[in-house]
Amino acid sequence: MIHTNNTTISSPPVKKLGVIRWMRINLFRNTFDSIVTISVVLFLLWIVPAVFSWMFFDAVGFNGDEALCRTTDGACWPFMREKARLILFGTYPYEQQWRAALACLVVIGLVATLIFKRMKVKWMILLWAASAAVFVALMLGNVFGLPVVQTVKWNGLPVFLLLSVFSLAAAFPLGILLALARHQDDYQLLKNLAAGYIELIRGIPLLMVLFMGLFVLPMVMPRGFFLEPLFAILIALMLFHAAYFAEDIRGGLQTLELGQAEAADSLGLSYWPKVLLIVLPQALKQSLPAIFNTLIGGYKDTSLVIIVGIHDIISTAKMAYSDPGWQRYGLEAYFFVGIWYFCSCWCLSAYGRHLEKERAK
Amino acid sequence: MNLLANKEKRSFIIQLILAAILFSAAYLIVQNIRDNLADVGIRLSFGFLSGEAGFDVNESLISYSASDSYARVLLVGFLNTLELSFVCILGSTIIGVVMGIVRAGSNWLGTRLALAYVEVLRNLPKLLILLAVFIVMINRLPTVRHAWNFFNGIFISNRAFYYPKLIWHDGMVFVLAGILVWFIAAVLWGRYVKRIQDLTGKQLPTKWPVLGVLFLTVLLISVLFHVSYQFSLPVFKGFDFTGGSRLSVQFVALAFTLSIYHGGQITELVRGGIQSVQKGQIEAAASLGLKPSQVTRFVVLPQALRMIIPPMGNQYLNLIKNTSIALAIGYSDLVSVMSTSINQTFRPIELMSITMMTYLAISLLVTALLNWFNYRTKIVTN
Repeated sequence: MIHTNNTTISSPPVKKLGVIRWMRINLFRNTFDSIVTISVVLFLLWIVPAVFSWMFFDAVGFNGDEALCRTTDGACWPFMREKARLILFGTYPYEQQWRAALACLVVIGLVATLIFKRMKVKWMILLWAASAAVFVALMLGNVFGLPVVQTVKWNGLPVFLLLSVFSLAAAFPLGILLALARHQDDYQLLKNLAAGYIELIRGIPLLMVLFMGLFVLPMVMPRGFFLEPLFAILIALMLFHAAYFAEDIRGGLQTLELGQAEAADSLGLSYWPKVLLIVLPQALKQSLPAIFNTLIGGYKDTSLVIIVGIHDIISTAKMAYSDPGWQRYGLEAYFFVGIWYFCSCWCLSAYGRHLEKERAK
Repeated sequence: MNLLANKEKRSFIIQLILAAILFSAAYLIVQNIRDNLADVGIRLSFGFLSGEAGFDVNESLISYSASDSYARVLLVGFLNTLELSFVCILGSTIIGVVMGIVRAGSNWLGTRLALAYVEVLRNLPKLLILLAVFIVMINRLPTVRHAWNFFNGIFISNRAFYYPKLIWHDGMVFVLAGILVWFIAAVLWGRYVKRIQDLTGKQLPTKWPVLGVLFLTVLLISVLFHVSYQFSLPVFKGFDFTGGSRLSVQFVALAFTLSIYHGGQITELVRGGIQSVQKGQIEAAASLGLKPSQVTRFVVLPQALRMIIPPMGNQYLNLIKNTSIALAIGYSDLVSVMSTSINQTFRPIELMSITMMTYLAISLLVTALLNWFNYRTKIVTN
């Protein structure tokens, strides 16, 4: 017999947990959980008041009087009011700093455009080249009646963006080539060279590669050819990141079924159409998580350039607090830089997660 | 035309051309280097290594003074890199494993705090963390004169951390030998216990007898050879502490930063490994009557470890390379002494090739160890 109309489907009973019961399950389930809960609570009781009193309660506000800073243990935010511009643009001539700001906006706009708008590779390359040209023109000057600013005066955010964004962008195609060279069997010499290069670079610290860029690269240049340190470092960073990209992409190439390449061969495609149309699109999709790891890691590690004397934002932050009278406020300066890093890295990884979700569809 | 149509011949010809290009490029580079060096009046040679270094280091495991040679200062830097790497590997593993277990666990508060920890560290550069930690230590820790005192032997100041040092006594050789014998015996006993268990299912005790024997060994040898355990305590005299051992504040800042930085990444590895163990495995183990601690030890961990160890090895490699940021706060690691030596001698090519070879050797060694370990923990199938 089938009931049709006189039954109502009732929803399952809502489980109601009392506070005590909820705590028993979620905080004190066993000894280990209890220890964890107690230590976490103790840690929070220590750190939260300390951070809040430093940032707010004991701090001198952004518009406050800097003379008050000396009387308190908290943060000195007037420091940021005075020094924000120095941290952003460093020793770039003061009345020309709008150019540096505009150059930064060009790079940020470029990255945003690439994130939000899908376009053909051809247009991407064109956009990269145009942005690079505009960036250099703005920063260096000597065109459109802009006065020349030598690269030694380039500091802060523009330098950081130049080194991180452009080195990673240039490293990517190089990484693809290295991965392809290592992932083939027709040319053993090429394969061994690529493998040797990748393993060599991955075996030494980034700092060593930067030192090589600074000291050895100019020596390799022909006599009388002067290589600007900034561009030597840019090349070193690019060569470094390329090796890491290559390994990520090779991982993707290895997951690809052999049948894909064989099918392309039997369709009569020659090497480059096969690679560009069949192999790479699939391999790149596979290696997306690894690529984003390298991307974010490389972006963060650009900060190491300060050790070899290039002034990115951490370095200008140092400049800001080495000023006599402001020497106690290093933490405030680093806090400011930290916010920039945190936000930009967070955006990058959010974009990576979004791409992965799209891939899974 | 005919030559290019054959795949093997084409490959050979192209590679020949490639080799020719590479050879001429290498020749050009060598020529350029020689020209550029000749301009400054230097010839490539390693003779400078025996010359006097003339600069000081802030910490050294072997005796060193400014009048020692460049070779020795490089050795000092190398040992400092190894010491720092060792401490950081230990620290980051402990932090990572604990936080990973908490992150994969059921504690509402714990999972959230571990997530916040991982996210914050993932989005900040290690160099920034290092500089911030260092500046906080310099600004907020007391000066040497007013150092904080713990347990009447540990002093913390913004110059260094001081702690008691065990004074070497000749009888300790025998104690160390005894411990070595004990270790070998313990390993053998462990194998024996496992064999008995495999054959008969009987479980012999391991933990307490083994620890008890260790205690008795040390006690017996100490009494027999009249070994005295005396500590040299740090004492404040004049402008600094004398006696005891010390860790420079640079070392502490580096060890702390790299431990929490890589600890955050290891947390994610451990979480991934634990969560990769199928739920059915845990339920099956529980329904066989294993206690929760036994489920973790015999079922979850062995399977999770197989997932965790390969990426963990990569982490350790990265960590060792990352110790080179020591230069940013002036700790004398290998890269740091190399940089100073380059500035003094202007021999970048020689010094860099030595440093690069050292790092490559370390990398190869760790990779070999890792492969050996992977081989050992591989699933044995018939």
